[in-house]
Amino acid sequence: MQYLVDIVLLGLLMITGFAIVRMRSLLAVTMLTSIYSLFSALLFVVLDAVDVALTEAAIGAGISTILLLATVALTTEYEKVPGHRSLLPLLVVTLTGAALIYGTLDMPHYGDPNAPVHRHVAPEYIEDTPEEVGVPNVVTSVLASYRGYDTLGEVTVIFTAGVGVLALLGVHLRKRTEQPHDYKMLVVLRVIAKLLFPLILLFALYVLFHGDYGPGGGFQAGVIFATGFVLYALTHGLGNAERVIPPALLGVLAAAGVLLYAAVGIEGMLLGGKFLEYNVLADDPVSGQHLGILLIETGVGITVAAVILIIYFGFVSRRPGGADAQDPS
Amino acid sequence: MYSIATILILVAIAVGLVRAFRGPTLFDRVMAGNMIGTLTVLLVAVLGFMNGRPEFLDIALVYVLISFVSTIAVLRVYVSRHGDPDSD
Repeated sequence: MQYLVDIVLLGLLMITGFAIVRMRSLLAVTMLTSIYSLFSALLFVVLDAVDVALTEAAIGAGISTILLLATVALTTEYEKVPGHRSLLPLLVVTLTGAALIYGTLDMPHYGDPNAPVHRHVAPEYIEDTPEEVGVPNVVTSVLASYRGYDTLGEVTVIFTAGVGVLALLGVHLRKRTEQPHDYKMLVVLRVIAKLLFPLILLFALYVLFHGDYGPGGGFQAGVIFATGFVLYALTHGLGNAERVIPPALLGVLAAAGVLLYAAVGIEGMLLGGKFLEYNVLADDPVSGQHLGILLIETGVGITVAAVILIIYFGFVSRRPGGADAQDPS
Repeated sequence: MYSIATILILVAIAVGLVRAFRGPTLFDRVMAGNMIGTLTVLLVAVLGFMNGRPEFLDIALVYVLISFVSTIAVLRVYVSRHGDPDSD
């Protein structure tokens, strides 16, 4: 049964990939990429990688499709047909693919318990997590505690991406000429969106605070938060969304998340431990770990949500092809 | 029981995918994408119960809550480009 599901899903993934390459209508392509991400999330579910599946679900189904659409809204709707045959690139790609497949022949079989990846540090993490960190989700303990330094680096990368988009595109605060009738006709959507908006934020909080026990954590929660605000912007207009969450505040929040993370690390040093050592944060090492993980996950969530919204606002507040074109939001 | 449900859902996804590829209009594809999204939610739930990991319901919930946002975004871009199909 497992094999059948694996093979069918991989097949569907491949077919969708080919269809994306063949299709010229970019709106249809964005629709297909969101289907593609549905299939890859399903594969992660089959592989039992709950946290990765949740990330793929949160990013692939919502944010990445929306950012692709924002790009399509700024450029053209149809891909140009290339005037030349791309035989040489095809050859290069085929050779690289063949070399990669040849490389996998030496790799240990899928699920082999003797594979290096299962014998290196993973057994220690799995054995020591219950008493050292005390959270049921080992992925969270590895990400946030054992490898907390790496995750700090990742959050910094995300923050840098947000700074980069701000520097290149900027979020234009100028007074927008929004036609209110544009959004008046969306009565059904506006009512539904208003009903769902608090539920999405609530679920984001659940994912954030429940990351120790179930799938999820700061990163996924941040993406879900941002999706909630994007839904608001789509149904109530960019002007209203900017009033709810001003872009200037977003810049501060993006920095605040990284600072909160680093501050937890420095607090550990001040209390006599090492950088990002949570054991010293409370009287009991395990509750110190809990507190530290919760704080840094909150920091990650704040930065991710703010950066995604900066990128979204940066894209949609630009007007396609000059100042007088239509509002792409 | 769960196996039969899994196979049926996979078949339904494949049928939906045919519509997503063939179109012919954007709305067919949006509809197909939406349908595959709903079926994915079902499949995640079925697989979760089949493998004894009901935590997977969290993933299904994320999809339910946010997958329609991208559908709305596609249609907003379409309307801002081509106007509202209902108004003419």
